[in-house]
Amino acid sequence: MKKLLFIVVLFSFTFAKAQTALPEISLKDLNGKEVSLASISEDKTVVVSLWATWCVPCMRELDTIADVYEDMQEEINFELIAISVDDSRSTRRVKPAVMGKGWEYTVLLDPNNDVRRHLGNPNVPLTLIIKNGAIVYRHSSFTPGAEDELFDKFKEIAGE
Amino acid sequence: MKKFIIALIVIVATQTAVAQENKGTFSGGFESNAQWYQDDDAIGVNAPQDQSRSNNYFSLRYSYDKFTAGIQYELFAPNALLGYSPSFTGNAIGTYYLNFKHKGLDITGGHFYDQFGSGLIYRSWEDRQLGIDNSIRGVRINYAFNEYLTATAFTGNQREAFEISEGTVTGLNAELDLSTALDIETGIQIGASYVNRYQQYTGPNLNFPADVGAYSGRADLSFKNFFIGTEYVFKEADAFVLDGLISNTNLQEGRALLINAGYAIKGLGINATFRTLENMTFYSDREAAGNTFLLNTINYVPGYSKQQDYAVSNIYVYAPQTAVVPLEGKAGEIGGQIDLYYTAKKGSTIGGKYGTKFELNYANWSGLDAEFDLANETYEASLFSRGEKYFEEYSIAIKKRFSKNFSTIFTSIHTEYNGDIIEGKDFYLKGNSFIFDGLYKLNKGRSIRMDLQHLSADADRGNWAAATAEYAFSPFLSMYVTDLYNYDVTNIHYYSVGGSYTKGRTRVAVNYGRQRGGLVCVGGVCRFVPENTGLTLNISTNF
Repeated sequence: MKKLLFIVVLFSFTFAKAQTALPEISLKDLNGKEVSLASISEDKTVVVSLWATWCVPCMRELDTIADVYEDMQEEINFELIAISVDDSRSTRRVKPAVMGKGWEYTVLLDPNNDVRRHLGNPNVPLTLIIKNGAIVYRHSSFTPGAEDELFDKFKEIAGE
Repeated sequence: MKKFIIALIVIVATQTAVAQENKGTFSGGFESNAQWYQDDDAIGVNAPQDQSRSNNYFSLRYSYDKFTAGIQYELFAPNALLGYSPSFTGNAIGTYYLNFKHKGLDITGGHFYDQFGSGLIYRSWEDRQLGIDNSIRGVRINYAFNEYLTATAFTGNQREAFEISEGTVTGLNAELDLSTALDIETGIQIGASYVNRYQQYTGPNLNFPADVGAYSGRADLSFKNFFIGTEYVFKEADAFVLDGLISNTNLQEGRALLINAGYAIKGLGINATFRTLENMTFYSDREAAGNTFLLNTINYVPGYSKQQDYAVSNIYVYAPQTAVVPLEGKAGEIGGQIDLYYTAKKGSTIGGKYGTKFELNYANWSGLDAEFDLANETYEASLFSRGEKYFEEYSIAIKKRFSKNFSTIFTSIHTEYNGDIIEGKDFYLKGNSFIFDGLYKLNKGRSIRMDLQHLSADADRGNWAAATAEYAFSPFLSMYVTDLYNYDVTNIHYYSVGGSYTKGRTRVAVNYGRQRGGLVCVGGVCRFVPENTGLTLNISTNF
């Protein structure tokens, strides 16, 4: 128990100092082209969503946002980059799923879960708002209605 | 513990010093999964000796300029949760590493995760739900010679709970992107790998190999909307191990072929996978072959079938059969699956106002048609033969939104499941399940989700019904209650009630209920979990 307490204390200390950005690595998009994570939010605000084809709330979130994506792009310059953490078993499903569902997002593949590990191995879905390379908002899990909260936050952060 | 404290102090001190210059970045996470087990006469289980158990993981990662360092401290107090390897006990630093990255060079000393190709020859990964962490502790070098040629080399010993494997694993891999090299439209990537396991043998048999190598070659092609990829693995003859005992009169080779093809245009995506394999288990310790806790696995052979989303559709899930088991007539398996995603356009008859989404899957797995000569301990099997049927499944899911606030998912599945082969129980089951899932969105981030599920099956425990109700108070707080009921044979209710709170980087979930025993499968890899009842608490946070 002492050890746990120790960890918690230490953790709260480090928490205050923590600052995060996406790792400086490149991921492949659905056409096999390398995209550098450092460049995706250069001089702008974007949403990055970590998801997987086997994750029900992830698919719900991306389906829900896809329904209004065009409107939100026009209204608030909303842009979403969906990073699939599907491993080698299901990574082949990503392209058919994305195309079959007609999503307009930029989709990147992280089959070795490098990005996920860099972020501390979070559960998916994990939704981040990134402004000029810095992670400024973070939310995991998805329940209906959470997309409105995300649009509001995005508007607030992008407008700052 | 001392080492851990020192390591943390060093990291924190460095971090504090550097933070002022604002050059380093710091991240990490903490995850705790705790359970308090109860006696439960209704399902006939007694709580284990340590009634409350927890798995805790604390990771820290620090990057500065071209360097990244990380450690993961793990605490199993006083023992790991049921179903995890009992070798996870006490506390220690589970993994640590130092990484240097500059231009095309990427060097790691310590524990690393990687995979070659689809992982059929080598993959190390961590999955806390499955209790897997088969990272390799050693040295890994990855070098990108130019835009199209990359090579990797590594050597080390595999993590085995808080120990390392007796066998040393060495790997070489090269990837060549021909489309970039030749500047052509058609995507062509090729790759080749070699993975070796070296483990001294001091027993009586002189023919016994210390070195067992595996070779693989692969190619991926994509043109316009089509893509196809194939991979072949050959594994040198290795000892034949069953239940931890070496019977080495006959050494056996292994082989596997994987083909994947697909077609995708807007509104339609198809993906088909075919795989056949013979004797494709590959362990960093030859005597660990077939262990139930998935320790020492060098390669990754997942079950390719649809990952099902509901309680009744997760009772009979296919688990891949990769090992040779003469008495059960198993030498390998052959099969595959087809996935189809289709969206009926908005405004069309089927699509309605919002568009209707269809997801279809068909999976079929059989054993190789093998002939065993038990007296001489040999067998003959062709990689392209089909023997006994192991598993077959058709499933369809229709996702339909009726209004801005109301959407539904209807799922129907037909399953055939060879309980004899997959679980070692004497039954062959055919079942049909129907699942209705409705979601109603209220205002201010509140929503209600309900599902009704039914499985009618002609064997084992017969018919099941299940229902779930879930209420979200906000995007941050939700509660659920669910029951899975076997009303046919055992009359047992597997009820569960719980809630979760998520805010920013932190998630806390509490559940109380009964857990159905059986295979828990994550990503096509399965772990056995005994039936249990109790209270669970999950906390996770990232920073």
